[in-house]
Amino acid sequence: MGNLTESNVITGVPGSERFVQDFEKGVLQSTLKISVSQLNFYYGPRQVLFDVSLNIADRKITALIGPSGCGKSTFLRTLNRLHETIHGTRMEGEVLLDGQNILELDVVRVRRRVGMVFQKSNPFPKSIFENVAYGLKINKMGGRGLIQEIVEKSLHRAALWEEVKDHIHKSAYSLSGGQQQRLCIARALAVDPEVLLLDEPCSALDPIATAKIEDLLMDLASTCTIVIVTHNMQQAARVADHTGFFLLGKLIEFNKTDIIFKNPARKETEDYITGRFG
Amino acid sequence: MNFRRFTALLACLGVGIIVVIVAFLAVYSWPAVRLNGWGFLFDNSWDLGQLYGNPITVHGQQILPGAHYGILFLIVGTLLSTLIALAIAVPVGVGAALFLAEGMPPFLRSWLSFFVELLAAVPSVVFGLWGYVVVIPFLGQRLFPFMAKWFGFIPFFGGSTGSGYGLLTAGFVLALMIVPLIAATLRDALVSQPAALREAAVALGASRFETMRTVLLPATRRVLIGSSILATGRALGETMAVLMVSGNALNYLPHNIYTPISTMASFIVSQLDSALQDPTGMAVRSLAEVALVLCMISIAVNGLARLLLYYEGRQRASVA
Repeated sequence: MGNLTESNVITGVPGSERFVQDFEKGVLQSTLKISVSQLNFYYGPRQVLFDVSLNIADRKITALIGPSGCGKSTFLRTLNRLHETIHGTRMEGEVLLDGQNILELDVVRVRRRVGMVFQKSNPFPKSIFENVAYGLKINKMGGRGLIQEIVEKSLHRAALWEEVKDHIHKSAYSLSGGQQQRLCIARALAVDPEVLLLDEPCSALDPIATAKIEDLLMDLASTCTIVIVTHNMQQAARVADHTGFFLLGKLIEFNKTDIIFKNPARKETEDYITGRFG
Repeated sequence: MNFRRFTALLACLGVGIIVVIVAFLAVYSWPAVRLNGWGFLFDNSWDLGQLYGNPITVHGQQILPGAHYGILFLIVGTLLSTLIALAIAVPVGVGAALFLAEGMPPFLRSWLSFFVELLAAVPSVVFGLWGYVVVIPFLGQRLFPFMAKWFGFIPFFGGSTGSGYGLLTAGFVLALMIVPLIAATLRDALVSQPAALREAAVALGASRFETMRTVLLPATRRVLIGSSILATGRALGETMAVLMVSGNALNYLPHNIYTPISTMASFIVSQLDSALQDPTGMAVRSLAEVALVLCMISIAVNGLARLLLYYEGRQRASVA
């Protein structure tokens, strides 16, 4: 753990080695939270991820960008073993969470430590309170008083408390799309995850709701490691410390966000971020 | 005639048939309703009187001497057998639906679902015959004595177990008939729940079973209530199968779950022949009154269900 694997060392572009060295230093200074090496992933006979190796720094925001169908969402799902709910999937390689192979950990424990927010907000058909309390109750964390406290705290952390505090027992479906997505973030935060995975969390939201969630993510990064998949390159540029570019199931380039956007080492990355395809 | 009028006519036809049937029952049984009064519902004696005696006049109606019509035992038998059927069928139906929807790969699901639905297509007389030949000897000679011996401490589980014809057998056969109704409807509702809900629960560390219990079942509660009500209607009105296994008790209130009973629907069939012997016609009119009461109970159950769903829907709407 700790060293970047070889596939992340970028060569061939004059001057880029310097950035890579800086980047390595930066990642080494902050500890690694998740280390993925040689990850291959299959849906039945079809391989969708090829030898992906990637290090995710603790309490930083890591963005994954790339065109549709490039495997970035699939990659995200391997980080909390959510892919296991789908029949016929197979994963090869290693995902280390704090140095421990997640396949050797209890799956419920992994998913508690690595929370997830989905592309389309998916609150349960229950009250706002029950939604946030769900993870606590399922995992038998705390009694009634403690749950109340954690629900309030989580809604605060998700910047939703002020908007819902007067009708916390109303249906979650009474909220707007942006509020529902923040509710889903609050729900994920309630079990106090160490890592939060977000799969295009703003793709269905208007710019104002998107801005709120981006602010929220930057606040959360002080306490939580964040991995966000996004279609929106401006979003990655705005919020992420590190950015990885996926193409056709391969991690093409991974580096500090400003380097990826200002001085990418690979031609594919440059083509994508300048809008030549995607 | 344009399309609108044509469809309006068809719609009215449905309403019209219900109205005509209830109106017929009410008109035809009216002399019996006048004669029997409220005692019809609360008395426990059905007696056709002396079939060869001279008719006498009571309350302006001609009836046979000694004739008396009270159907408390039918109401009790109908409601209890339906209740037992529901108590068995709802948990079994929910379990079957969960297993079909969540517990198996899709290609097996459609096959097994087909068989469950096939169960609903079996004519009730087949259930009755099977109950008569296979179930009753087993229940009467083996299971019931066993239950009375080991679970006799539970109220209504002890006492004499009889021959196997009776309340519990009727409830059991009814349950078999309504399980596919509940299972198929609920399975469809479960399958149509968005995958996003499942994923949300799983991503929070819920197991498969916890996901079903805490997310999927609550989300489909309305469907479960609705299908249970439909099943109740079916059980209340079931005639043939119950007739063959219930023991056809007359004027007899059950004292435990093994006691022979009669239900309103099966009683109408079993008594119609005798009732036609009554020269005053009052017996048949009283049977029509039984049908009227059955109709009203069915309508009441359906109405209650509608009300329940309406209020639940409104509760949701007010927060949505």
